[in-house]
Amino acid sequence: MVTSKLNNFLFKQVNIAPLVVFRIAFGLLMFASITRFIIKGWVYKMYILPKMYFPFYGFEWVKPLSGMGMYIVFALLLISCLGIIFGLLYRYSAILFFVLFTYVELIDKTNYLNHYYFISLVSFLIIFIPANKNFSIDNKLFKRPEVTTVPYIFLFLLQLQMFAVYFFAGIAKLNYNWLFEALPLKIWLPAFSHYPVIGRFMEASWIAFLFSWFGCVYDLLIGFFLFNKRTVTIAYVFVIIFHVATATFFNIGMFPYIMMTITIVFFKEEFHIKLINFLKRITKYKYLATQAVPIPHKSFAYFFLCFFVIQFVLPFRYLLYDGKLFWTEQGYRFSWRVMLMEKAGTAFFYVKDATTNREVEVDNKEHLTYMQEKMMATQPDMMVDYAKYLKNYYLNKGFTSPKVRAQSFVTLNGSGSREFINDTIDLSAQNNSFLKNKSWIKNF
Amino acid sequence: MNENETKDTFDKQAMLTNMADNVILPAYTSFKTSLDSLVTVYNTFKSTGSLTDFQLVKQKYSVAYLNYQRCDLFEMGPAEATIIRANFNVFPTDTAQIKSNISSGSYDLGVLSNIDAKGFPAIEFLLYGNNSTETDIIKSFTISPNRKQYVSNLLAEMVTKTNYVVSTWNASYRNTFVTSLGTDVGSSIGFLVNQINFELDYLKNAKIGIPLGKKSLGVPVPEACEAYYTSKSISYAKETLLLIENTYLGRSSSGSNGKGFDDYLAHLDIKYNGGSLNDAINAQFAIAKTKLNAIPNPLSTQVTSNGSTVDAAYAELVKLLVLLKTDMPSNLGVIITYQDGDGD
Repeated sequence: MVTSKLNNFLFKQVNIAPLVVFRIAFGLLMFASITRFIIKGWVYKMYILPKMYFPFYGFEWVKPLSGMGMYIVFALLLISCLGIIFGLLYRYSAILFFVLFTYVELIDKTNYLNHYYFISLVSFLIIFIPANKNFSIDNKLFKRPEVTTVPYIFLFLLQLQMFAVYFFAGIAKLNYNWLFEALPLKIWLPAFSHYPVIGRFMEASWIAFLFSWFGCVYDLLIGFFLFNKRTVTIAYVFVIIFHVATATFFNIGMFPYIMMTITIVFFKEEFHIKLINFLKRITKYKYLATQAVPIPHKSFAYFFLCFFVIQFVLPFRYLLYDGKLFWTEQGYRFSWRVMLMEKAGTAFFYVKDATTNREVEVDNKEHLTYMQEKMMATQPDMMVDYAKYLKNYYLNKGFTSPKVRAQSFVTLNGSGSREFINDTIDLSAQNNSFLKNKSWIKNF
Repeated sequence: MNENETKDTFDKQAMLTNMADNVILPAYTSFKTSLDSLVTVYNTFKSTGSLTDFQLVKQKYSVAYLNYQRCDLFEMGPAEATIIRANFNVFPTDTAQIKSNISSGSYDLGVLSNIDAKGFPAIEFLLYGNNSTETDIIKSFTISPNRKQYVSNLLAEMVTKTNYVVSTWNASYRNTFVTSLGTDVGSSIGFLVNQINFELDYLKNAKIGIPLGKKSLGVPVPEACEAYYTSKSISYAKETLLLIENTYLGRSSSGSNGKGFDDYLAHLDIKYNGGSLNDAINAQFAIAKTKLNAIPNPLSTQVTSNGSTVDAAYAELVKLLVLLKTDMPSNLGVIITYQDGDGD
């Protein structure tokens, strides 16, 4: 009974137009984002300039390409975006985009952003979605009939992915500091006191509480209102308000624009049909015949069930570690914890030579980019990576069995800087691991 | 209504205006004046070769270098564009490179290999030498037109860059500076906070730490001291700490204290360890100054004979750095980086 209802829900035929609109919108947004990334010189700053990289646990084998290599990767990313937009060799384009984008993100966790994680997941999903079966060059090229309806599951995957981002970002906000101290917004908002009209309120604590609670309630509920056809329009107004606000206050690049645009995947299909018909008219797009996409095998649904279950469980893995999550950051990434804390630190590294039993102090600037140093100073797993790099570096400089220790001072949500880690242990002898607690992080 | 709502917001523009008009521009103006008068007396010395003129050159040189120390922190806008720090004050200076430049008579001061053969440290080496008498040094100038010209060229490069910085500040950058009110990367407040930290890091590492042996397994490196030939390393280190403090306070070098980061932090009522962050920072400035004052000139002998006193000062600078690099920016919404990027 339940199964048949679920079957009905997932495999009922719906119009393909929302998928086509999504394909084009996503492709265009990615093309713009990647162009912006290249123009800002970030390919060089993040993937060519650094002397060392901070790999993700389990992905230490992922390395940047040298010299022009990274530019070629980004050029291929742009080409794959065009393939997605125009539905040209669509599946190959989607695979290429997913693989290259994820590759770039895995090179250095310094650059980890939840937004990039989101893009990787979405680009994985679109590989399996028949978004090129209508209004595409593939149809023209291979003289395929135009598909008009598809099983709902394809659209549902995209909607569920968007829902997940909001909902888990909302769950993450359900903590004492966010709700009852209005932190970190109470720290961040006064910096905007020079803004016209609203600026004069920015130092008041009520505005920080208003933003905190609005953000939390918005994140938790917006997905439900978007899913409901009766409330989707008003929900979209809130989507615009929310993302315009975040774009105004925070340095989060393309993300608000990406979210505002692709949220239209929740719109009623009439909207998408009209849009696609309009595009077909102005491009004088002609097609031969029509057909429906066959219902995918059940295993398809099970596969994506696993995909989402893993995604939904990851945010809770922090419960397996000791200590306060925001302080230790063990299990912090891949959990939709977005703009959740104000954390900064300064770390001093010392390397001891066994022969002389004396130490040198490391000038971090000689080894790390500003961004890497800033990120490393508050993230214990990055300190381990850096210590191992330093050990190697000083071995090559002739040190005998170098030991690397660090003194680090971190402030969390305006707590005042305090010692972050045990400054006597040899960090280069520590290992990052999945789910193993780092006992050398001091208590908050 | 709580008291937050009735209070005026902090006037960032007033703080930046104070920084520009009372802290930064007067520092540059004094430096430019003293550099110009150094050039004048040097030109006289070039033609007379007299002891009196030589001594005048050394005197004016010291004034110019001191005044340079008082604007070293402001590496933003035109100073950033012309890379003042790396062109004016790389030490220890490369005496072999200087000698080879002089003997060949053909060199390009703009290339990277000459970065440590120019600026104040190179002129210092040529004017003060290493254990040479004044008579010998004067003679080395009078017999070598190349040497005379070398110092002229070094001065000319500094004059050109300084004139560019001062004229750009006056013509346009002041206005850009006082109207950029954000705290993000590239804003004036972002620049100031980052440069305060760059300068403090530079004081801690280059001016104290490296000579003390922090990067050489505790073995002191006396010749790495700033102002090695004039033995003014500690005086300049103190000057740098004062410059950092003045910038933090929004205080001019003549001592008039306007709106600065101290007022900003106090206005926002930022706490640290139960007290106020501003009080903690001011107290740490005071301790660091006391410890630095305890070291007599020259640092080059102190690092070997009196290492623990130098180390004590170093430790206090580290504590100050943590407060200024971690607590202050984190509470003002400033990111410690010169690199832009997206956040989460």
